[in-house]
Amino acid sequence: MSKKILAMLSVMFVMVFLISACTPTPVEEPTEEAVVEEEVEEVEAEETEEEVAEVVPVEISYWHTMSDPETEKLDELIAVFEAANPGIKVAPTRFAYSDFKAAILTGLAGGSAPDTARMDIAWVPEFADQGALKQLDGVLEGFDEIAAAVFPGPLSTNFWNGAYYGLPQNTNTQVLLWHKDTFDAAGIAVPTTMDEFAAAACALTEGETRYGYALGGTYFWAPAPIFYAMGGKVVDDAITTAEGYTNGPESVAAFTMLTDLFNEGCISPNLLGGGVGTADGHATGFYSMIIDGPWMVDIYAGNYPDFETNFALIPTGADGTTSSVVGGEDVVVFETTENTEQALVWVSFLMSEEAQKMLAEVGVMPTLAHLTGDASMPAHFEIFMEQLETAQARVPHPKWGEMDGAINNAFQRMLRGDQTVQEALDQAALEIDALLAE
Amino acid sequence: MITIKNKTNQSVQAALFLLPGFILFLTFIVGPMIYSFRISFFDWNIIFPEKSTWVGFANYLEAIRDPIFRKAVLNNAVYTLVTVPGQMIFGLLVALLLNQQIRGKAAFRVIFYLPVITSWVIVSLLFEYMFSGQAGLINYLLRDVLHIIDQNILWLADPVLAFIPIHLLGIWKGVGWTAVIFLAGLQAIPIQLFEAALVDGANRLQQFRYITLPMIRQTTIYLVVVLTAGALNAYISNLLLTNGGDPLDQTHFILTLMYEETFGNLEFGYGSAISYLLTIIVFIISVIQIRLLRNQEQV
Repeated sequence: MSKKILAMLSVMFVMVFLISACTPTPVEEPTEEAVVEEEVEEVEAEETEEEVAEVVPVEISYWHTMSDPETEKLDELIAVFEAANPGIKVAPTRFAYSDFKAAILTGLAGGSAPDTARMDIAWVPEFADQGALKQLDGVLEGFDEIAAAVFPGPLSTNFWNGAYYGLPQNTNTQVLLWHKDTFDAAGIAVPTTMDEFAAAACALTEGETRYGYALGGTYFWAPAPIFYAMGGKVVDDAITTAEGYTNGPESVAAFTMLTDLFNEGCISPNLLGGGVGTADGHATGFYSMIIDGPWMVDIYAGNYPDFETNFALIPTGADGTTSSVVGGEDVVVFETTENTEQALVWVSFLMSEEAQKMLAEVGVMPTLAHLTGDASMPAHFEIFMEQLETAQARVPHPKWGEMDGAINNAFQRMLRGDQTVQEALDQAALEIDALLAE
Repeated sequence: MITIKNKTNQSVQAALFLLPGFILFLTFIVGPMIYSFRISFFDWNIIFPEKSTWVGFANYLEAIRDPIFRKAVLNNAVYTLVTVPGQMIFGLLVALLLNQQIRGKAAFRVIFYLPVITSWVIVSLLFEYMFSGQAGLINYLLRDVLHIIDQNILWLADPVLAFIPIHLLGIWKGVGWTAVIFLAGLQAIPIQLFEAALVDGANRLQQFRYITLPMIRQTTIYLVVVLTAGALNAYISNLLLTNGGDPLDQTHFILTLMYEETFGNLEFGYGSAISYLLTIIVFIISVIQIRLLRNQEQV
């Protein structure tokens, strides 16, 4: 008997679970008992709702990964927004960057995704491809004006399959950081061309006790500024092929320069993995040059208060132009939101000059191009905003993560001497083309 | 009749008592397992599950054919073969030492158990610093103190050498727990057996060989099975020390690859298939181990 009862119970629960698991879960599924109670309440509520509808604000959620000072500033920002829009309340939720993607996915899968979020620019095409994000062009009032006012690089990260699925809320890029003491001691000028850069990297190297240049790793973000400045391209503009781009002559030239410098001992071997980090290495003079972003100012102010941070534009390539790689975050509206209208108002506000300026006070770089050189911006923003004018976005494609992996591995193989630069990039191009064909 | 009725009542009561735990078990363990089993046969769309396309065994076949997955299985196998005996040998040694009348026994127990309760993240970062290729303690010792090497070794940049810190960490962190379990087994051995052996003129080695080892066989079986399953599920140390698969996807464990595919590349079907392949591997190995060790006992 007991076995039968247990068996029956288990079958019952498995079935209940399977049924609930197979049907897509609606937002906040109420329990069965609660439904009855709610229905009663709803009848009562409906009568009063019409009278109070204008006063009860709609709450929209906003997920982000802001730092402590940014989060404090966000509260101020929300207060300003809510004062101007009494019908809308914004409920922010903060996540750690490392958990954020999984949190959004869990939210989407469980039917509890936020209305809006600020996410890594590299994720937008990926989530758009999954159908999770609302198209904004043609939907958001004033989209064209905003699109025209922001830097083109950051904007392009929102474009996927013929539409825009977000707007660049903030941006950043990488520039050259040079260690003044070692440059002065060697009597070397800050490099402005790639040839000068290569020469400086070797001139500033002293065996294993000091390196002229160091990269944080072999992931694409690290060599990207040099790659783009030297005219390198991963794919064609239409994102259809990597053949002739990833392994094109400019891309090969960029990686050849880096591999040669590495083989001559002018680049620290830490990029292969497990060495001295670039931030610490640069501040202590172990690495004379690194390439990094605007957050370094805060990092050094906290960890090396006496260290003088010096920036310069990424040296120019053969055609005389500089470039770098675009980073930052985009604000997006989720397809599952029930408050599209209010969410769009919040997005427009985040893109306004007022909001962009407020967040700039805590070191967040604005995307509005006309704020370059604005007196209210922190002094070190200027060089980054100048660099942004020519900075390029990584390939806005749902499979970017895997493409990055292909280039990362190719870079490792050429540094280890497993393959020539051309062979390694030929293989990467094949792998990326396979991802594009999927 | 009455007794049967009573028994039925008792069974119903027992079932009711089991029910809460059973519901939790079904909801949080069996349910997700079944759900993810289903996912593994689809090119799964996490946001709109109804748009997922059925692919049959394609995810499983893709994994089995994938050289990175095979390398990950190999890495897990080597890790298991190194760290399970490593933890058991050192754990038994520590347990034997702690089982004697020595001063400061409690302090030693705490010291050996400390790595067990320390967070994986913290000890992984510690090992990362120790094995840093340019400023690490290990290179300093080998190069400047012992003069064994004349050039720094880039431990974490080498697909083979990277496993030295990972294996050492696995052993070091597990010894304390293994020792505690062994210690429990050792303390359960009746002292009379050793006294009788002493009378018969057995030396310490013979006592260990003919009394201690046979008497802790059950503990040993338990440890082999549990530690093996644990080694096959290793994850955090690898994720932190080599970023999962760096360099060149050569250092993946099955679980770091599963995580990367699932949450990095959003390949939920493929990731689920990898999980199930791991489940199958763990299940088969555990069954074989238990059978083998039990059979030995009968002989």
